[in-house]
Amino acid sequence: MRPSPGTAGPGDTDDELVRRAGQGDAAAVQALVARKLRRVLALAERMLGDPAEAEDVAQETFFRAWRHAPRWRPGAAKFDTWLHRVTLNLCYDRLRRRREKTVADPPETPDPGPGPDRGLMAQAVGERVRLALQGLPERQREAVVLCHYQELGNIEAAALMGVSVEALESLLSRGRRALRVALADLAELD
Amino acid sequence: MTEERFRALAAAYGADPDRWPDAERSSAAAFLSARPAVARPILAAERRLDEALAAYAAAEPDSALRARIVAAAPRERRVGRVARWLAGAGLGLGLAASCAAGVAAGFAFAPSSLSHMLGRPAPTGADLSPLASPADDAAGG
Repeated sequence: MRPSPGTAGPGDTDDELVRRAGQGDAAAVQALVARKLRRVLALAERMLGDPAEAEDVAQETFFRAWRHAPRWRPGAAKFDTWLHRVTLNLCYDRLRRRREKTVADPPETPDPGPGPDRGLMAQAVGERVRLALQGLPERQREAVVLCHYQELGNIEAAALMGVSVEALESLLSRGRRALRVALADLAELD
Repeated sequence: MTEERFRALAAAYGADPDRWPDAERSSAAAFLSARPAVARPILAAERRLDEALAAYAAAEPDSALRARIVAAAPRERRVGRVARWLAGAGLGLGLAASCAAGVAAGFAFAPSSLSHMLGRPAPTGADLSPLASPADDAAGG
């Protein structure tokens, strides 16, 4: 039985909500935003390391989703995967522009943050991790963000990145090794 | 599972077995049971990194962002709403008409049906009088 317009619950599939959102069902729109916005924003923030840019990307991702929703074909792809793909594309656009700008105007070396002897608060550790993630090559960062933070399975993450599972594991291992080195002072990570 | 593969999985996916590939999770668990002295230190090292990574929490979406996104969502077209209202109104009218027709048909056919059930000829219009005696029905049976 199809849910009636005006209501949406946890039992509704993503496909069903997208279909209804495409028809202008306000409850389905609210449910999709509640279900996916945090996830999209987290992906963009960890890829870009910049909360303001991440908000722009999350907003644009949903604008594209709304444009696409009336033509959404259930079963053709997982909506969550589609959202990840769009978000990553938008992130890579911004990273490319950032690189072009950086060549012309190199940034100052980022402050590595306080040392372990200052009694790091969790927030400060988080900031150190953010900087360490941003220091990774983009593909390694993407692999770590998709598998560790977004909790995608290895097959789904590899497909999203267009690489084999073996290549994904290599990116993950190298990424985690580099993070361990960058964060070694935090808690004897080596 | 070999020690080399166990190390490779931990290095790639971290210490939490839930993050490991489905197909290798049970054999990794078997390795951990069989060789805990080797497996546990490997996992402990990766767990420290996992805990550090967990400190980087993602921001909660703020209400302004949420509102902008919701405001840009497709809206039900006015024409669609009107059409649906008309369809609903039409259905209501149709039901009303059906009821009226049913009542009329009831008046037209009920006597004959009743008489058929009672096994006697259809009554004339005069017999439909509410003053007709119930005894008449009994006598006719």
